[in-house]
Amino acid sequence: MAYDSASLDAPFAALAAFDWGQDAAPLEAIDDAVNATHGDANGRSDLEKRLVTILEAGPKRAAKEYACRKLSMIGTATAVPALATLLYDAESSHMARFALERIAAPEATAALRTALGMLAGGPRVGIMDSLAARGDEESLATIAGLLAADELTAVAAAKALGAFRSPAAADALAAAAPAAVGQVAAAIADARFECAEELLRQNKRTEAAAIYAAIAAATAGKPESRLIELAATRGLVACADALAAT
Amino acid sequence: MHRLSTTRRGFLRTSATAAGAAAAAPYVITSKALGDATTPPASDRIVMGGIGIGNMGSGDQGAFLSRPDVQYVAVCDVRKSWREKGKNKADEKYGNKDCAAYVDFRELLGRSDIDAVHIATPDHWHAPMTIAACQAGKDVYLQKPETLTLREGPLMVAAARRYGRVVSGGSQRVLDDYRGIVDPCWSGELGTLTSLDIAVGGPSMPCYLAAEPTPPDIDWDLWLGPAPWQPYNKGRCAGNYGTGGGSWRSYIDYSGGSLTDWGAHHFGGAIFAADLRELQPKGVAYHPATADGKTAAYVTLTYPNGVELHHNRPAALQTAPVSIEHKGGAIKIVADGQPRAGKPVPRYRTPDGSGKTNIYGDFIECVKQRARPFRDIELAINTMTAPHLLGIAYRLQRSLEWDRATQRFVGDEEANRLVDRTRREPWIL
Repeated sequence: MAYDSASLDAPFAALAAFDWGQDAAPLEAIDDAVNATHGDANGRSDLEKRLVTILEAGPKRAAKEYACRKLSMIGTATAVPALATLLYDAESSHMARFALERIAAPEATAALRTALGMLAGGPRVGIMDSLAARGDEESLATIAGLLAADELTAVAAAKALGAFRSPAAADALAAAAPAAVGQVAAAIADARFECAEELLRQNKRTEAAAIYAAIAAATAGKPESRLIELAATRGLVACADALAAT
Repeated sequence: MHRLSTTRRGFLRTSATAAGAAAAAPYVITSKALGDATTPPASDRIVMGGIGIGNMGSGDQGAFLSRPDVQYVAVCDVRKSWREKGKNKADEKYGNKDCAAYVDFRELLGRSDIDAVHIATPDHWHAPMTIAACQAGKDVYLQKPETLTLREGPLMVAAARRYGRVVSGGSQRVLDDYRGIVDPCWSGELGTLTSLDIAVGGPSMPCYLAAEPTPPDIDWDLWLGPAPWQPYNKGRCAGNYGTGGGSWRSYIDYSGGSLTDWGAHHFGGAIFAADLRELQPKGVAYHPATADGKTAAYVTLTYPNGVELHHNRPAALQTAPVSIEHKGGAIKIVADGQPRAGKPVPRYRTPDGSGKTNIYGDFIECVKQRARPFRDIELAINTMTAPHLLGIAYRLQRSLEWDRATQRFVGDEEANRLVDRTRREPWIL
């Protein structure tokens, strides 16, 4: 069935006024349109613009959340400006990322990168996670700089760098490791293991073993780090096994 | 050498040295600590805690509490009533007031004396808590469904392997309830299996329940955790087993619906019977509902070895003679009828090798032997991949192709947007 924008006037009017506890049946037409416009660029574009209009009108939280969920499926660069604005609203930041993280357009990455430099605390933790999910190497240095921040931020920075699994991430984590303590130290070690495992997947056994050996050496004989030392040892065994298998 | 360093506890403990343990030994040894004919000494008991002590969690707690080789020391739940009930249950068992009760699972995981935890929270917390538990050096018994998204599974397996943890999924039914189809399939008497039909409910739905005042006895923000913020409503977080609304199992932010809830059992039993646990489906064929409305949509998964798994395929389309079916018809299996060599059915692990225990006993024995359990997390997530793929196909209403190596859909960017979901800070994986 061809996309009929006019048929969605009433559903979108319902969405504009929607709040939790209201009858959600009118929204089903929008749900159906999301699926029905797969492969229909014009229909999708219209649908996206209408969802953006909803966001820009500043509706209730429930309506914003709904629009963000739909844009997480069909959003493009068109939706980025409206979503980016929501990154700075504590109530909406997460759902804005819910959409932006999935929009392939470079504009989405740029919006998240800008927010990284402007937000703090919990919202910044989320931004780091989203940038890591997108593999944005350009933000890696900024994230690495946060390894020396407060514990919440530093742990999140370590997790994000672990998600990158890149040589640059591994280097940044290694540089921060000696000064880290407690939960931050554990998070950095875990992230370094992620990097080492990626190297092993790429058959770069020597580089992987170097990471494991460094961690094992740094944790040797420290009761509080026994778990990490054992994990590093396990990693070295995996490198040896991989070599033996060749 | 000090006794502790030669026992399982000395091997498991990751932070205490033998000398440190000797220094910490009590001056007065109680009879309970020494053990007796039926109870191992304290040093040989697995010290456990539980996270999520609601309906299922309470049952799991009871199972572990009943074991003489477990010392149950802590509960954690964001609801005060569940927390207190769990604590009281443990205290009553041991005749003391020693069981700790936490709101925040991180405090429980931070205890160096706890060896293992059981987790029975809503599904959206399963992956973050399991990964955190592994990172804290704990073994994990995790209720099914083990995952909420496709991306979570590999991360959980990686954490378990990285830290050498025993992580068991929790479908207690797979080896027990489905024995009637498992044994004939594994014996080879039916021949080579070609298709499975599984009848179980569908995916979860959005939640639009109205806001209600948040009661004082629940930490609502912590209950939500990584899920999107929505207002408290008792129906949003109710732990009943319904999936038609009015329970967290109904709603997409916390559960995959009946597809993954009961599905974890039915898919678990069927996939085990068909010996597919090491595999993940490749083809995902969506069959739309007929225009006359007489036939509902259904989905067929195809495994790399050619076996087809049909979800809710209409009976009229099930034309091949059924070789065997699970009682009630929830699982129907078609095989070629050409007897082939059989394989021994994997068992639960027991000290005597008999396999005569349950999934809880299997977990505890694997903790002691440092072995992979019957429903090892890797096998569990392979199984759970099936209902997750089905859920995405139903949502998008089209066929898909899954690439196990990359853990991505082939050529479908929209489907790949559903492989995971953005978690609410600070609960990133």
